[in-house]
Amino acid sequence: MSCATALAADPPAQTFQTNCSACHSVDHVLVGPSLVEVAGIYRNNPDGFVQWCLKPEHKRDGFVDMPSMAHLGEPALRELHAYVIAEASGKKEQAKSDTDPFAAPAGTVRRPQVMRIFMPDASPAAIAVALPGDLSFCFDASECRLRYVWKGGFIDGWPYFKANGSSLAKIDGKVVYHEESRPFSFGSDKTFVSKFLGYRTGKDGIPTFRYRIQSGATVEETIRPLPDGQGIERNFTGEGIMFSEDQPKDAEGTSNTRVYLPTPQQPNSVNLTTRWK
Amino acid sequence: MIRHLSYFAALTLGASAASFQIDRLPNPSGVDPQIGGVAALPDGRVAAVFHRGELMFFDPATQKWSKFAEGLQEPLGILAESPSTFVVMQRAELTRIKDSDGDGKADEYETIYDGFGMSGNYHEFAFGPAKGPDGFYYISLNLGSNGAGVREEVRGKWSDLGVLDFKQMVNDPNWGKRSKDAGRMYSRVPYRGWVMKVSPDGKSVEPFACGFRSPEGIGFDPQGNLLVTDNEGDWRGTSPLHVVKRGSFNGHPASLVWREGWDKGDPRMLPVPELDAMRNKETGRFPQGDLANSPTQPVIFPASWGPYAGQMVFGEMNQNRMVRYIPDDVGGFRQCALLPMFDGTALGNGNHRLSFGPDGGLWVGKTHLSWAGAEGLVKITPKDIDTAFIVTSVKLEKAGDKQAFRIHFSQPVSAGADGIAGNRFSYLYRQDYGSPKIDEAALAFGAPQLSEDKREIVLPLEAKQGAIHRIDLAKLRAVDGSALEGSVLYYQATMLP
Repeated sequence: MSCATALAADPPAQTFQTNCSACHSVDHVLVGPSLVEVAGIYRNNPDGFVQWCLKPEHKRDGFVDMPSMAHLGEPALRELHAYVIAEASGKKEQAKSDTDPFAAPAGTVRRPQVMRIFMPDASPAAIAVALPGDLSFCFDASECRLRYVWKGGFIDGWPYFKANGSSLAKIDGKVVYHEESRPFSFGSDKTFVSKFLGYRTGKDGIPTFRYRIQSGATVEETIRPLPDGQGIERNFTGEGIMFSEDQPKDAEGTSNTRVYLPTPQQPNSVNLTTRWK
Repeated sequence: MIRHLSYFAALTLGASAASFQIDRLPNPSGVDPQIGGVAALPDGRVAAVFHRGELMFFDPATQKWSKFAEGLQEPLGILAESPSTFVVMQRAELTRIKDSDGDGKADEYETIYDGFGMSGNYHEFAFGPAKGPDGFYYISLNLGSNGAGVREEVRGKWSDLGVLDFKQMVNDPNWGKRSKDAGRMYSRVPYRGWVMKVSPDGKSVEPFACGFRSPEGIGFDPQGNLLVTDNEGDWRGTSPLHVVKRGSFNGHPASLVWREGWDKGDPRMLPVPELDAMRNKETGRFPQGDLANSPTQPVIFPASWGPYAGQMVFGEMNQNRMVRYIPDDVGGFRQCALLPMFDGTALGNGNHRLSFGPDGGLWVGKTHLSWAGAEGLVKITPKDIDTAFIVTSVKLEKAGDKQAFRIHFSQPVSAGADGIAGNRFSYLYRQDYGSPKIDEAALAFGAPQLSEDKREIVLPLEAKQGAIHRIDLAKLRAVDGSALEGSVLYYQATMLP
């Protein structure tokens, strides 16, 4: 350490650690390609390696462009080339394991369950809910409404988790019901500008979503499976809310929705039952 | 099986009197052990939030984890309001998570604030909350990255200020051919690149300051200043530290589009000198590679940390260390010296979120996502900390027509003052990613003057405004022969006295 002055060049291992290791690992793709792959390209082409590091270009779609390493200088980059070749020597690219190390075994999805994650066909503020039985649904916390229901398993979150959200979760099942818009309006509130307030899970683990509608009233919405598993029942509750009596449209001819309006016993509550064929 | 490994580390070159015990705690089984946030509780337990959405408690007495809540989206910060109420920053919202029925499990997930936009871009992380002396929560919002486009459905108002229109910004297989025109990092939905100030009930929200890129670390110093770290990249020659004032612009232009009354078009196209003149200058800079590549959360050392008490330390993702912060007010501007900490220990990298427990132990939550880092929970326990030999203050003073550093130590200096060396350098403020070091030069120090109690050295020099001054104190020794814990300091001289 006696010659450790400010301007001494770092050894290549140190150069690699401080400048490269955030994005490149020895044997698997991190942000950029592995050293094994880089060594395969540049083993006998140190000039090409140095040129690339000085002036990287856009090469791979889906990958972030590498920043220039010109600040390291050509001599250090030549040393780095030798270091990369040596580090990769005898190593093999780790087979791209596309299995989730934390995946629940098939058929063992915990139900009910709430999971906020990027979902297809919804805004980025999506919430996936597994109901008891084999139904799951996607609630959109941006629009405060149900987006769709699927039957089968729950979700495969691995595409999302492994890439920090640059891919969406996959639905493990078949979408059986899809809504383009809210099936009815609250009084004159046709535009349905709403503000998400959160959710509460009951003792049964099923979430009740809360949101404020334009009139300022708070609505609570709970979605449960029908006992025969062939549909869902949705309960909307909110003090002083006037639900319109519009019959919802049967959007795709695949479902049948019935509305149960407030009763004297439950003056602030509406139930909506949707079945599909 | 419970892993419980202890390491006692000491520096090999002139042992430091203090040492740090590093304990790696067991991971919860079946849980992806990447930790987004930690909060030590008064009863000794630690609350942690994980990559896949769990909020769990670790009990050091039993070495066991228990689950409190789940289903959160990429939580990257947690604050305990009580042992049964937590505020967590998720990707989509700031959420209060409560056990309202007292069964030990969360049942209420109350949205405190979700009024910021989401384009669906993967890089739109959300950090915090940090609680201010005013009782408000401060959160920081990452920009989107041109590593991908946006989703077809976004949350929040779309900004048309940019080369690409909405359709062109939507991710598709040809994104790579258009991505350059998006800007390296972008803010096309509200408040990406901003620090937001949110009342605990969510009813009052103020866009507090802008100009951030990837503001991973957010916290308050003992005097109530808001500190925010950012990450090297475009407009960040190296990772900066800002003392953030209300209404300030902190250097990355993308977020300017959400300033009230903004009428200057795509801010990325403004002349660099104009942006440079607008921006709040750095309080500190972490030299990329030399000190830190991705600094994270700041925390304040408690009274039990001897000479460190009341000072602050930042986590760091890429290197096997953390970074200590020593502020210095010059001409009304707060700048600082940054020093490595925990070098030579078995701490490892990935030091993401920090929280001091009631016993003074420093809990460290580690993560990596798809970058460099580590996993799991670590506890740092200082040993013989009262006798630690460290730099305790660094002040840049006027000395005749030049300057001098007045450096204070926790122990008398017995040798090595004549071996102090140093250099200075800077980085470019520019749109390109990162920066080479510029304006490098050796520092010519005058003869160092040791105070009578030998705890202070005055080091005359000609300081350079704007530059980072690197001062190597590795040759200094305490009376017992110890070297400094943290023997190189990087002083950001944004202002000269």
